[in-house]
Amino acid sequence: MKTANPVEILSRLAAAKVEFIVVGMAAGVLRGAPVTTIDVDIVHLRQPDNVSRLLSVLGQLDAVYRHDPRRLRPNESHLTGPGHHLLTTIYGDLDCLGTIGDGESYDDLCARSPDLELRPGLIIRVLDLPTLIALKEKAARPKDLAVLPVLRATLAETLKRA
Amino acid sequence: MADDLAERVPVPCKPDIDDNGVDRAQIRQMLDLTPAERLLLVAEFVGSLRPVRRADEDRQPG
Repeated sequence: MKTANPVEILSRLAAAKVEFIVVGMAAGVLRGAPVTTIDVDIVHLRQPDNVSRLLSVLGQLDAVYRHDPRRLRPNESHLTGPGHHLLTTIYGDLDCLGTIGDGESYDDLCARSPDLELRPGLIIRVLDLPTLIALKEKAARPKDLAVLPVLRATLAETLKRA
Repeated sequence: MADDLAERVPVPCKPDIDDNGVDRAQIRQMLDLTPAERLLLVAEFVGSLRPVRRADEDRQPG
């Protein structure tokens, strides 16, 4: 892996017009939460054309399943399903998720994922903080509960600025 | 850290700890950055710790 560069991963996806939503703690960071994470989670649109664009970018990024010593690469049938694909790339770890929470897909999450300008002219969708908080509350694992105070405080500070 | 980002990262300011122990000042500093700067800051922070971790592993016996 080169130096981890999550912005480069997201920029390449956006430049290739892949339809995706940033979720998980990378969404929290993009929305201003001072937390650490070492991967980028996305929920992608599982429509064939979009999966094809996603696979093209994953190829450029040399993405392989990160817990598989055979260095397997994701394919179309993998990414059109609802499962989770935990990949590693030349710019760091990337999780491509068919669904999250209670089976929520790209289409289900779109309305709660406003646009965000990553770089000038490069727009991506990022899950909003209320939805991220709701998902963490529902998951309720210790790791989810641990970040809730920071996410809630970030939402409060964000609302003060609105 | 990239020079431009290093210039944008605010200098440490007085903590503003809320009832849950969360430093609101740190959050406000993050909100002052652009979204890409926030993500790069975290990536660079985590990356900067890796050599320390590797060196520590090398020091472990066995």
